[in-house]
Amino acid sequence: MTDNRLPLIILGGWLGAGKTTWLRHQLHAGLQAHVIVNEAAGVAVDDALLSQAKGVTVLAGGCACCNGRDDLVAALRSLADRRSAGDAIPEIILETSGLADPAAIITSLADDPILVRHFRLTGTTVLVDAVNGAAELAAGTLAIQQIRAATALILTKTDAASPTAIARLAATLVVLNPLAILSAAVAGVAVPLPALNAAPMPLALTTRAVTAVTLPIPKGADWASLSLWLSALLHAHGDRLIRLKGVVQTPAGRLLIQTVRRTVQPPEMLPADLGTDDMLAVIGESPDAAALQASLARFLA
Amino acid sequence: MCNACGYPARAGHWTDAGLDSPHDRLRARFRRAEVLARVLRPLGLTAHDDGVTDGMVLSTLSGASVIVTDPAQIWATIERLAGRAYDPLAG
Repeated sequence: MTDNRLPLIILGGWLGAGKTTWLRHQLHAGLQAHVIVNEAAGVAVDDALLSQAKGVTVLAGGCACCNGRDDLVAALRSLADRRSAGDAIPEIILETSGLADPAAIITSLADDPILVRHFRLTGTTVLVDAVNGAAELAAGTLAIQQIRAATALILTKTDAASPTAIARLAATLVVLNPLAILSAAVAGVAVPLPALNAAPMPLALTTRAVTAVTLPIPKGADWASLSLWLSALLHAHGDRLIRLKGVVQTPAGRLLIQTVRRTVQPPEMLPADLGTDDMLAVIGESPDAAALQASLARFLA
Repeated sequence: MCNACGYPARAGHWTDAGLDSPHDRLRARFRRAEVLARVLRPLGLTAHDDGVTDGMVLSTLSGASVIVTDPAQIWATIERLAGRAYDPLAG
């Protein structure tokens, strides 16, 4: 079965991280996408800068992860309608406001019975300002939530920060989200990351340490029991499991499972030779590998 | 299932993924009921799926029972019937 859903990428990052600059360059470099720009403030500015997009939808006056959620759902539904009517929309990029928690947006997408059939979330890219990022991380939890929700992290403005500061920030990002792919860009153009040989910065005490464990899935594990176990785990511990990712065997073939907190993204069937099997990467507030493994074994018995 | 468009009336639950044939789906239903009945025994609950009725029947030992049709609600229903939280990581 071909997945004809429209690919959607969430572009997040703190206020002033360089989201629009980065996106502008990608559009200039040939990216074909319809852009949805969300601004927490009442006046939209960024849409004027994105003239090279295939189309721009502006959602101003509310953040799409909380009070602007209904507007986002309505905008996406209308795009889905347009596409169903024959409008060629290659891809959607949702540029969030700097104050948005991408995890909340992912949840809205997964919970809407219409959107879930029309859109396929292909990634969450979060930009981190190399100059101010450290201060934002030290100041509050929202910047940390954004980083934790990412599948790709891009350090921006690395030309304006010292290599030591960049290395320290990069090390911190790896601690916060070890699964995300880390890269760097200046004004949207990819640049190499400096050597990452620094210790991570100490974070506010309100943030508990996030660690990743890899859980082997026993050979011959059946998907029915495994999915039941996952649903129990997410129900009981979803708020402390930040991300879960793995490829499992199902009767229909290899299935990619990804979760953000309690939300499971619609699983995707994978071709036979892509990705690593029988492993579940678990990122959370100190997940206990032994307890997870014993618990899974009880379900699989 | 909607007769007009062929789409199910509600979006599928993620646990339905990977089960394309009716045979696989039925087997998964039986297997889930079997596993649930086993892991829920310490809570004084039992689970049963007859493969025909839409949903899983959860019962307490005193006879109270609930049919859960939405897989997303299963653990919340279990906790309500058991009167306490269920932690899969607790031995």
